[in-house]
Amino acid sequence: MINTIAYGLTIGGILYIISIGLSLTFGTMRIVNFAHGLIYAIGAYFVVTLLPVARDNFILGAVLAVLAVVPISYIIERFVVRKLYGVSIDYAIIATYAVVLIGVDVIKWIWGASPIPLSDPVGMDVAFLGITLPLYRLIIIALAVVIFIALSIFFKKTMVGKIVVASLEDKDAVRSLGINVDKYFAYIFIIGSCLAALGGVLYAPITSVHPYMGSMVLLISFAVVLVGGLGNIKGTFVAAFALGMVMSVTGRLWGPAAETMVFVVMGIVLIFKPIEV
Amino acid sequence: MLSVTNIDTSYGHAKVLHGITLEVLSGQTVFIAGRNGAGKTTLLKSIAGFLKPSEGSITFDNQSILGLAPEKIALSGIRYVFQDKRVFSQLSVRENLELAAYPLKVGVADAIAKTVSIYPKIEKFLNLRAGSLSGGQRQILLIGRALIGEPKLLLIDEPTEGLAAGTINDILNVLASMKGKVSLLIVEQNLSVVGMLADKVYMMKEGKIVREVTDKAQMNDKVIMEQCL
Repeated sequence: MINTIAYGLTIGGILYIISIGLSLTFGTMRIVNFAHGLIYAIGAYFVVTLLPVARDNFILGAVLAVLAVVPISYIIERFVVRKLYGVSIDYAIIATYAVVLIGVDVIKWIWGASPIPLSDPVGMDVAFLGITLPLYRLIIIALAVVIFIALSIFFKKTMVGKIVVASLEDKDAVRSLGINVDKYFAYIFIIGSCLAALGGVLYAPITSVHPYMGSMVLLISFAVVLVGGLGNIKGTFVAAFALGMVMSVTGRLWGPAAETMVFVVMGIVLIFKPIEV
Repeated sequence: MLSVTNIDTSYGHAKVLHGITLEVLSGQTVFIAGRNGAGKTTLLKSIAGFLKPSEGSITFDNQSILGLAPEKIALSGIRYVFQDKRVFSQLSVRENLELAAYPLKVGVADAIAKTVSIYPKIEKFLNLRAGSLSGGQRQILLIGRALIGEPKLLLIDEPTEGLAAGTINDILNVLASMKGKVSLLIVEQNLSVVGMLADKVYMMKEGKIVREVTDKAQMNDKVIMEQCL
């Protein structure tokens, strides 16, 4: 059971890291960004490629992989997403899905379609209540908590954070003060993309790296965002860990239903707490 | 100062404003009155840059502002106070003022002092969440926020809507204290408020200006004013 909980918390941690960027872009820009899943996959591929450059130092490889997605996310924001501000949400779905299709083909062209395995970068277990848990998973959980605290401080204490919080509530009122919100949305988009890439980097050693790895995680991340509330940092944190636990517990009882159960929970939440877009 | 000439504005294919022309001079307090759906808010949004007129021109200090982004229009000295008392409810009162001061490079202390100067009671609420303020306090916060950085023109949409009589007096005092120091273009349905403060009134009906009233006696004559609506 403790193993199930630990697995649930690991999934929750990764889901939080991926979903928070999605939540912020959805909440501020009202953009349904399918390309978020592509950035997650690219992060994983970059760490595979950059590990030899970093002489197998996983932390350095992870940092390089996350930094390497900055220009890609900038290009997506500048030339695709920025054109979609204020237009119907359908256009965003179509345009960002087109980016995914192009991106997946580019991944297959560069790295091939076969899954690439990556070994546990820590390679150590920790004994806990009579069972052993991989230390790497505990590090992921701790990292998710650190990111949550860091983002909470960022949104509470910095001017950029306050502008984003205000924009989540009323973008036009922020513009009426003379603030160019698009500039700050670009920052948030890039921060969110870096976190998606970090999610891909961290999950790569747990699963394998393949061109379609972003698709399923993206759908589950949307469920996290809808359950946690658009742009709600605390809500996304709680929802990610709760849904991670749902996946883990359901997976233990009946494996094939693990992901389905996430969407069942999402449906129940939406019945009692409908979302306004 | 502000000159709106013959503008048409549409929502999609539905034309809402038809050939609107108006002028606000420096230091003037001008009201736009009219029933719901007359196009008053659409007019303010067209001036503030949130809607782009398909025809006509808008100049401010002899510069065209037609088609400029709302943030650029705000930085040029026109501030728009939205309807519905839209404060940033998750932020404190102090943070609301801080946010308004930031793009204008005004110190937070100066921004707070400006708001306190029009409504001293706000000092007690600085650390409260703006969402916890009453309707009247929110409205004053919005006006205070818009006054930061010495704007030349304030566009205020329905400042007394939904407020109790006592609170309307507070708003009236705030607006009266600004009169002559900054130009005001105010959308208002409460004709008593209009009569007390206006230098000029434009009456709107079905997207058109149907009458311009500059005579104080006429402004205070509710029968005449209501006939125009």
